Amino acid sequence: MLEPQNPQEGTDRPGLGRDAARPANGAPLADREVPLPGNEPFGTTPAAVHAWLDGEASEADARAADARQVALWNRIESETQGRRRMTTPAYVSQRIMDALPDARPSVAAVASTSAATAASVDGRIALTPITAMLAAASLIAVGFLLARLMG
Amino acid sequence: MTNTDTTLPTEVDSDQDIISRVIAGDRDAFATLIHRYSDALYRHALGMTGSPDVAEDILQTSFIKAYHHLGEVRGRFDAWLFRIVANGCKDWLKNIRRSHLSYDEDDQPSNYTTPDEDLDRTELRQDLDGALAELAPSLREAFVMKHVEGRSYEEMADLLGTTVGALKMRVHRAREALQALLEEKYA
Repeated sequence: MLEPQNPQEGTDRPGLGRDAARPANGAPLADREVPLPGNEPFGTTPAAVHAWLDGEASEADARAADARQVALWNRIESETQGRRRMTTPAYVSQRIMDALPDARPSVAAVASTSAATAASVDGRIALTPITAMLAAASLIAVGFLLARLMG
Repeated sequence: MTNTDTTLPTEVDSDQDIISRVIAGDRDAFATLIHRYSDALYRHALGMTGSPDVAEDILQTSFIKAYHHLGEVRGRFDAWLFRIVANGCKDWLKNIRRSHLSYDEDDQPSNYTTPDEDLDRTELRQDLDGALAELAPSLREAFVMKHVEGRSYEEMADLLGTTVGALKMRVHRAREALQALLEEKYA
């Protein structure tokens, strides 16, 4: 697999822990994943080709920059556009309906954001204001207990 | 089952209206949500996994999860549902032991006039699948959303909860990587 370029990825690899990946100035890693000023090209593809593929420049401009790459991307685009027309096989919808439980969906007792709910539905830990406050309160309580035991 | 309204929802009913009906006991109304969003979500799952069977399974699991937690939806249902599917795809990619899966050729409609053209197309499809499988999941996700699903950067940012700049960077990096893998044969 190619090296992930997102600085938040790949930090579980040996010798590349979170601290190693963090910039020296301590800035959040996500802040580094932004385009450089002026959108300078960082690879072998000219900026004009990226701009064309992003719908921000004409094909003629891109072709002037690199005709071979434009030809390659036209072929790739023809394939991806074919995939864009694909539809779900007809039997899938019925299969899903057949697999639904007869019981009504549960109604949440506590309001939460949709993002947090989607994450928790998927078994991931969701950080909501309530969970953050509970976590902070738990940490303070543990710290207090430890201080009393040691002091 | 208790149906509060015997008529099926129409395409103009809002997601929230349909959700309210499902929660009230109109289980069949959920089919409208499946019909409304399954194609886009299927394309995403197919682009991410490269396997029609896996994409169908992820779609089914995601809709069932969504049904169970329908009462917890706050905000846009489509974005909430997309995140369930996207997380399902990423989890599958994390767990996958196979290096590459390809589309079943029988599942792909052929619109090409000559056998040579069809053969070229099949070869490109397989090579593109192989190249996509080489990408890190975040780059693959960005490329699939932009080039396969045809979404705008703004829409992608909305669905993924990140910035347009970050997504442009991911798409550009994905293109660079794909180009490096494909240009010797196709350029």
